[in-house]
Parts: sequence; C-alpha cells; structure tokens
Amino acid sequence: MNALELNALYKTFGNVAALNDVSLCVPAGSRAAIVGPSGSGKTTLLRMIAGFEFPDSGSIRLNGQTLVDSANQVPAHQRLIGYVPQDGALFPHMTVAGNIGFGLSGTPASKQQRVEELLAMVALETRMSKSWPHELSGGQQQRVALARALAQRPRLMLLDEPFSALDTGLRAAMRKMVAKLLSEAGITTILVTHDQAEALSFADQLAVMRQGRLVQAGPPMELYLHPADRQTALFLGDAVIMPAQVEDGWATCDLGRIPVNHPSHSGPAHIMLRPEQLHLTPEHGEAIHANGCLGVITDRDFGGNVCTLTVELHPQVCAVSGQTTNRSLLVRSSGLGAPPTGSTVHISTLGNAHVLPGA
Amino acid sequence: MIPRVPSLLKTASLAALLLGAGHVYAAPSADGIVVYNAQHESLTKAWVEGFTRETGIKVTLRNGDDSEMGNQLVQEGAASPADVFLTENSPAMVLVSNAGLLTPVAPSTQQQVAEPYRPAQGKWIGIAARSTVFIYNKSKLSEAQLPSSLMDLATPAWKGRWAASPAGADFQAIVAAVLELKGEAATLEWLKGMKANATAYRGNSAVLKAVNAGQVDAGVNYHYYAFVDQSKTGENSNNTALHYFKHNDPGAFVSISGGGVLASSKHQEEAQAFLKWITGKDGQAILKTGNSFEYAVGKGAESNPKLVPLAQLDAPAVDASKLNSKKVIELMTQAGLL
Amino acid sequence: MAEPLLLKDAAGVAQAAPATRSVSRRQPGAARWVVAVSIAVSLLALLPLAFVIGISIQTGWATIVQLVFRPRVAELLINTVLLVVITLPLCIALGVALAWLTERTNLPGRRLWSVLATAPIAVPAFVHSYAWVSLVPPIHGLFAGVLVSVIAYFPFLYLPVAATLRRLDPAIEDVAESLGLKPWAVFFKVVLPQLRLAICGGALLVGLHLLAEYGLYAMIRFDTFTTAIFDQFQSSFNGPAANMLAGVLALCCLVMLSIESASRGHARYARVGAGSARPQRTQILKGHVTGLALALPIFTSLMALGVPLVTLGQWLIAGGLDVWRMADILPALQQTFLLASAGALITTAAALPVAWLSIRAPGRLQRLLESCNYVTSSLPGIVVALALVTITIHIARPIYQTLVTVLLAYLLMFLPRALVSLRAGIAQAPVELENIARSLGSSPSQALWRVTLRLAAPGAAAGAALVFLAITNELTATLLLAPSGTRTLATGFWAMTSEIDYAAAAPYALIMILLSLPLTALLYYQSKRTAGR
Repeated sequence: MNALELNALYKTFGNVAALNDVSLCVPAGSRAAIVGPSGSGKTTLLRMIAGFEFPDSGSIRLNGQTLVDSANQVPAHQRLIGYVPQDGALFPHMTVAGNIGFGLSGTPASKQQRVEELLAMVALETRMSKSWPHELSGGQQQRVALARALAQRPRLMLLDEPFSALDTGLRAAMRKMVAKLLSEAGITTILVTHDQAEALSFADQLAVMRQGRLVQAGPPMELYLHPADRQTALFLGDAVIMPAQVEDGWATCDLGRIPVNHPSHSGPAHIMLRPEQLHLTPEHGEAIHANGCLGVITDRDFGGNVCTLTVELHPQVCAVSGQTTNRSLLVRSSGLGAPPTGSTVHISTLGNAHVLPGA
Repeated sequence: MIPRVPSLLKTASLAALLLGAGHVYAAPSADGIVVYNAQHESLTKAWVEGFTRETGIKVTLRNGDDSEMGNQLVQEGAASPADVFLTENSPAMVLVSNAGLLTPVAPSTQQQVAEPYRPAQGKWIGIAARSTVFIYNKSKLSEAQLPSSLMDLATPAWKGRWAASPAGADFQAIVAAVLELKGEAATLEWLKGMKANATAYRGNSAVLKAVNAGQVDAGVNYHYYAFVDQSKTGENSNNTALHYFKHNDPGAFVSISGGGVLASSKHQEEAQAFLKWITGKDGQAILKTGNSFEYAVGKGAESNPKLVPLAQLDAPAVDASKLNSKKVIELMTQAGLL
Repeated sequence: MAEPLLLKDAAGVAQAAPATRSVSRRQPGAARWVVAVSIAVSLLALLPLAFVIGISIQTGWATIVQLVFRPRVAELLINTVLLVVITLPLCIALGVALAWLTERTNLPGRRLWSVLATAPIAVPAFVHSYAWVSLVPPIHGLFAGVLVSVIAYFPFLYLPVAATLRRLDPAIEDVAESLGLKPWAVFFKVVLPQLRLAICGGALLVGLHLLAEYGLYAMIRFDTFTTAIFDQFQSSFNGPAANMLAGVLALCCLVMLSIESASRGHARYARVGAGSARPQRTQILKGHVTGLALALPIFTSLMALGVPLVTLGQWLIAGGLDVWRMADILPALQQTFLLASAGALITTAAALPVAWLSIRAPGRLQRLLESCNYVTSSLPGIVVALALVTITIHIARPIYQTLVTVLLAYLLMFLPRALVSLRAGIAQAPVELENIARSLGSSPSQALWRVTLRLAAPGAAAGAALVFLAITNELTATLLLAPSGTRTLATGFWAMTSEIDYAAAAPYALIMILLSLPLTALLYYQSKRTAGR
C-alpha cells in the first residue's frame, strides 16, 4: 500500500518552475531518497510534503488522507509529519529536553519519561537532556533533532540532507543508525540529498530530480545500472559512456563486443558501463583474448581502498564512426594490486552494458 | 486569528497596565468635576484644595492657555468633558460665552462679586484681576525716560528696547484692550511696530527675568510677576521697578480673570458650587494671603496689602464682554508675531 | 520489500491540472492575519499625513496662500533651514572625529570617552537647554540653537559611525595604502565613503529631531516651525494657521527624507568574502597630538555632560529638600512610568507583524507598508498631536482626551524605533525553526510565539526600551493629547520651567535622566554589537 501519493505537482517561483508535473508514490514503511543537484526542486518538494509550501496545482495524499488538493489544504501542524533539516535546527532557546518535548503534550513527568525513551532511541545519554544545543556536537544535534521529530510518532519522516554537515566517518554511522531506527519503528521515510552514495545506501527506493522534474524512480540498483539518460547515469556515479553499434543483444564498441540489456535495440546507440564492470589484467603479450582490448595506464589516482586508473586504449578504428579514436577510460581497481603507470593492460568487461535510451 | 497564548498574556498585562493607569489618573469620577484651567496652576490648586476639603467634591484640572482652551471648548461644543472654565483674562471667556456654551452664573455667586468685575449678561464672573504694567530695569531706564503711553512703544525710539510674551493669552488680552479702545487699524499698526521693536519671550516670567538681567531695558507685563518673585528670593526682580501707565491709557488696562460654568456640564450643582466658593470669602482670601498677588474681586474682599490699590490705577473703562480674542489672534498673525 | 516506487503516467494527470490551478498562490496560514494587522497599522500611520492633506483641502487655496505665504513663515523657514544647515555638518564632524578617535587611535581612555560620547542621549534635549539657559541666561537665537542641538544630538551620529568603523574590513585600507595612498588620504578616500550609510542615517535622525523639537528651542527663544505651531496652538487651539504651519513642517520633513534617501544611494557596504575579521588598524598618537586629540572628547564631555550635571546639581543644592515635592513628583513618576510602559508595549506589539513580514515575506507590499511608517515617524509630535486632536474631537469623540489617543500618538511616532530593533531580532530567528515547530504540531501563531518571539525577545526588549525612553522625554503630544489631570515628568518639568522655577524643575530633570540612563547603556551595548540599520 502506498503511504504517500504525489499527483502532478506544479510550483513556480516567479518565472522559474521549481516543480514541473511531479508525481510519485512511496509505499508504506519504505525508505525513499530523492536525489538531484542543487536547484533541482527536491527541497521544494520536501517542504511541500511537510506543508511549508503549497503547490500551484496538484495533490498530495498521505495514508489515504488528502493533504492538499484544489479544495483542501491541511496546514503543516496538523499533518503529523516529522521533519529533520540539514543543520538540525534545534531551538537555541531550549534545552535538549525542551526541544524533544516541544511537540509533546501531557504532564511534565510523562513528558520527561518520553524524552528519556527518545534519547535512548537515538543513543544519547539521559543526562544530556539538560544540555543546551550549543553544547552539543554536530552528530549529537542531529540525533536530538531526530528524537524531536520522532516524539510525536509521525506518519511520515522527512530528512532534508541531515547528514551533510557531519564528518565522513560519522555520516555513514549516522545514516545506518537512522535507517535501522526508522525501519524498526516502521516509519515511512523520505530522504533528500545531493549525495548519490548516501541515497543509494539509504534508500529502498530512489527518485532522481532535475530542473523541477522527476526524471526516474525505482530501486537503487536498478537506477544505478539502468539510468534513464546520460545525466542520470553520471549523477549516480562514474560511468563509461561510448558510442556503439548494437545488434542482436550485442554492442560492438572500442572495447570489443559486449552483451547489452536491451536485446530488442538495434542500430547505433550510446552504451554505459560502470567503472567496476571493467576488469584489468596485466598484458604479457602472449595470449590473444577473445573479448576486450588493450590499453596503457596513464594515471593512477590512489584513493585508499580503491584506486581509480585512467587507461588509454590503443588507437583503433571506431566501430561506429569508422574514425580512428584515442579513448580514455576510468577503471576501478583494488588499491593494492593496481598495475603501475605506463604498463599495458588488457581490459575486459563484466556483465551487460546498458543502452542509454535516445542518446 | 491571533495567537492564543500571547493574546491572553498580552491582554492580561495590557489590561493590568491600563487599569493601573486608570487608577493613577483618578479619571474624573461621577461625583467630581473637570475644570479647564488657564489660571496659574498654583492659584487654582490652592482653590481646589480648599474647595475639596470643604465640600468633598473632587476636582480634576486640565491646564492650558486661555485662548487654547477657549477655542478647545468651542470645538468640543456640547460634548465637552469640562464643567468649569477658569481664565487669566477675559477674551477667551467672551469667546466661549458668545458661542452660547455657558450657563448663567448663580445669582448668589454674582452677588458676592464687586460690580465692575461682573460682566453684563451674567454668563460668567470675575474671579481675580490683574493690572498691566511697564516693568523696567532700574539701571537701564530712569523715571524720566519712561513712556507715557503703551502706544509709544511702537515708535522707532523704542526699537530693541522692550520685551513681551506675545504667544501668551495675558499679552493678547492687553492687545484686545488696545483693539477695543483704539480700533482695528491703529491696533494693527501698533502690532507691526511691536514686531519691529520688541523681543519676544515665552511667558511673562521670562520677560521679568530678562528685564532683571538687563538683557532688555523693559517689558510689558502684568503686575504680580514681580511681586511673586519679591516674595520669594527676588533674584529675578531685584533690579526692576514697575511703572503704571494710569490716565485711562490702554497700558493701564485691568484684566479680569473669569470663571464660568459650561451649559453642557452634567454636574451643574457642583460646578456652580465651585464658582461660588472661589468668589466667596474663603476663595478670595486666598488671593490676599496666598502667593498669587492677583487682585481680589469679591465684594469687600481685600487684596494683598503690598499691592497698589486697584482704585488708584486709573484703568480705562473696557467692557470685558466685548474683548475679541479671535480678531486679536488674526491681527497678531498678520503682524507676524505668531 | 513493499511494492516498488511508481512513477505515475504524467500525461494522464496533466489533464487534471487546469482544474486545480485555482488554488495557486496560497499564503501560508500565519501570513494572513499578520498582513491584515500590518496593513491596519500602516493605514493608521498615514492618519497624520491624511490630516495635513485633508485640512489643506478644507482650508481652501485662498486661505492657504494667506497663511503660508507670509513673512512670518519665511522667517521660520530661514531659521529652520539655517539651523539644519549649520547643525548637521557640525554634528557629523564631531561624531566622526570622536568615533575615529575612540575606535581607531590609541587615545588614552578610549573606552571612557566612548561611553561619555553616548551618555548625552540620557539627558533630554530640553534639559540641555535648561542647563545652558541657567548657566548663561542671555543665550538665545540661532547660535544657542546650534550649540545646544549639536551637544544634545551628536551621539546619534557618533553611535552608528563608531559601530561602522568597528566592523569595516581592514584589508580594504591595507590595499589602499599598498596602492600608495597616504594615511589621511586613506581616511578620506576609503574610510569616509564607507561611513556614508551610517552618516546619512544618523544625520537624518538628527535632522528630524531638529525639525520636531519644541522644548529645546522654546527655552532658548529660537523660533522654528514647531515652536510657532505651538504658539498658534496656544493662541487658537487647532486653528487653520497652526494646521497650515504643520503642513509646511510636514513638507520639510518629507524633503529631508527624500534628500537622505537620494544621498544614501544604492550602496550597501559589507565585508566581502569569508574569514574572521582582523582587528582594526590603530593610529598611534604621539606627544602633542595626543594632548590635542584628548582635548576634543574632554571639551565635548564638559559641554554635553558637565554643563547639565553641574547646573542641575546647583539647582538641586539651591532648592534643597523643598523642591522635592513628593506629592507632585511621585504621581508624575508613576504616570510617566505607566504611559511609557503601556506605550512601549503597544508599540512593540504593533511593530511585530510589520517586522515579521519584512523579514519573512519581503516584497513590494511590505516595503510600501514600512515606508508608510517611516514617513509618519518623521512628522514632528506636534503635527501628529494636532492631527489626532482634530480627528478625535470631530470624528472619534469617544477616544478624545483618553489614554487611547495619547498612546496612539506614541505608537505613530515611535513605531520605527521598535521596528528596527525587532527586525534585527527576528532576523536572528531563522524561518526554519518556525517550520520545525509547525511540523511538530504548533499552529503558525503558536510557532511564532513559542519560537520566533522567544528568539526575537532581546531585539523586542531593545525596541521597547527605545520607545520607553522616547515617551519618557516626550512633551508636545503629551501636552496636547493626554487625559485631563495627566502630569508626566516631562510636562511637570515644563510647567516648572515655564514659571522660571528652575529649582523646582531640577528633581524632574534628575529623575528623567536616571530613568534614561539604563536604556542609554542598553543602546550603547547594542551599538557595540551591530552597526547601522
């Protein structure tokens, strides 16, 4: 069952279309991530769901209740939707307990008890309840902000780039903790981020926005491997995109013949491979490989566990245009066994190449 | 929609404040009267204290100037909050009387006041009197140099040598007398001469002080300012002397301070009682014994013995009820004094 | 895993879109009553201006010509123009010089001089006059007007200029010097232009005070429009002559406003780029120069603080215990306190929606509303009071001579003071916090109250304090509008000085100064934190 249904949302600010016909469904209990470059409209969408903005037209429904349509609009404070913004936005004039208890009603004692429960839930110590926001670290502030949003048992949780201000190490840990926490609580969650790695790791469902439009939505792996267009492909990670001639489920390109995922396509096209689909083996000049081609390592970018190599293919006649090309590729390799610069390698591919529609 | 909590809090604190203010202001209560007072505050306060002590009737004062309050009463009309109007001089009272806003003064009150200070129609009554004087600095002017008439002060000989307080109703009453005695054209001419010759101060006390300090040779003033100062330290009048014009000169004009009851007053009885009290024995005695040094006007009432008796002043006969304050303001505005 | 995320058929829903267009441009809930209140406040603010225009139409052209085009008006105009033209440059020069000495040199006792350059604000303008008249009795006219005005009002320039000097980017001066400019050239070509906003703002404030002040000039016998209007009022209540003079005065104020906004230009000066600010450059004064430089703050403090305090002390000693007529003074203190607190509360509350709107929803409507408020506050108290006297006596009789009217006058006159501080306060509370509160179940109004107002409280307090201070020292509107029996410290002081009873006036002056002191301190610390508006 869908918890959240967005239907044909439009919103313009002045002459700029912030949202252009956005429709989306989020199943109950799932974690969705909306990604897109800054200015893509993802934050506007989130604020609209929260009730801070109102669409020019279109409708929003939550658990079957209409939040906004042409006749009704439920104000933010009646929506029961939790919201955690980028910087946590704790009320600076209240203690941690005051912040978490902001939306709670009841006796001071029952409030205190609930605040302690929530603090435990976000793995903060009870004694922290008397602290002031400025005394907390960034991670602690985010936990308090999350606890505050959880306090009212929201029907939907909105996270607006909540991890972006944290250090790299802390960010991953927080992300995991939040994902687990929300799953256990069974709260439908939407995360907005411009960090595709965060989105891929966090979400069950991914939606990509660009220039106010929702360009693609689906499971992360699906989008990663089968992006709708070149921009989406590049936005979700590094990609090797090259022209190819596709026929009978095979693409012929500078890398040789590669199976494609669109058997029905035929004719010239652009194909996409993720760098990790390329496999390098040192070339000793003896074996002639049935599949793949040769190249020279021109640059090594050591990144710790992963090493990104730039491989220049041997000049060859392009399968599509018929011209001679000097193509460079990015290839991921284990940081340890990466071949040195200047060495000749053999490049082979793993899995299918993705045929980019219309490109 | 207004925020629930704030509105409650704000309303509460605001109400408390306003209640407090209302309490402190002792807003004119049902049994009290409101007096528009253009007389010297200290004199009226002495009257009010005596009256309230004796009758228990509360009095709220609104202080102002003769012409200001006269015009204010006219504009307020029948809805005026005032019950009684007290002035320093007659013109403003005439203005209010001519607008039909006064109710006749009770006959018993009229009987208490000496004939010359009872205006013809009985719409208002004299409560005190003051004489115009020429006050001069003894080291600047000798007796021989003193002017024989107020009208002389408009001649070039007096350029830069005398002072007055033209914005005050006191001086405007003197101009009203000039107007009544000399006519409009001569008055305007005289005022233009004054604009050229005189230094304008704000208030008769300021004129007195300036003459005493020698900033200016002389000034047109009322008699009692110097007496009041002498009764205290004399620091603002020790170098001065008074010159009475006498000889029926406009400068010998004796101005009547008036009291009247507003026809619109909802406290007629209390208002009449107040007028009766201040013109009666106790009220007039305050003029004799107090620090005001104004002339008493009650029948048989004595003024302060230090004053030159009214009878010796040889004042011109001016019908107080004919003094025209509106015309005076017009002429003074025309002459550039206002 | 639940059923997959669906991307709906966009074409299918597009058909429904036109039907839902009607709901576009909806304001969030909170904005509606805020807008309504803001508009109401601003319309009220236009009342005095409407009065001036209305009364002019009613008076008729012939009478206007007769009342406006006469020698007396020319005389007042010349007086007023001379006063402004001479006083403003002197105030600017003094304010800038003192600010530079206290902020940018190693002058001994800089902090003390900085406090002393602000302190004269605590002395009401007419008390400055009172001090000078009792010290030098013959003092009067233009010279006296300029002298006392400079002394009473220069802090209005000192404060913003010093604050701006404090936060200018020193790198700009470094660059100028590296380009070969001599230190004095750096000051005139680089520093002074950056002070333009502060100087314009301060000069406008002083200019408006010059036009509006009554007590200061009445006491030293210098006739300006305001004193002439008061004379006319005393002579004829609200006769046409007074109203026409008020019209001319209002016109003068509008001219001054437009000169200021023209000379301010579009310039906005701020630090460019991030990074923490480095300490300002300090000019080292040596030997004779130090002595000479010290002479300025010493002389200024003697004139602006020494004279009032010494004369006040003299009168208090001369008056002894007799002048402490507590039966009169206590009620006056109580009434002043009540009027000032009620006025401060109401004004701050009324400024709130306007300020909130200007931060949260800046736009054309909001700018219009705000300029309405500024225009009215530039009108002298006497004009506002005259307008309210006429309007209440003829149209709104139930509130005639009531607290409501006098508080309304305070509201109209002092709204911008509350506005400026409140705006700064609300700017401290990001809109995000209000949103969070709403997502946590607070209605927009509750969010405003529980979050924004709490955070804006220091700003609101500062604004309320400024209004309190202004009401404490207000004379003309209180005299004209207050209910019968009202006697504030200011009107009590005025009644005493009118009778030349300077000794009896001294306690009132002293209490007014003592009341103003903490608020002046607050102003001082506030200006240490922020600069200009």
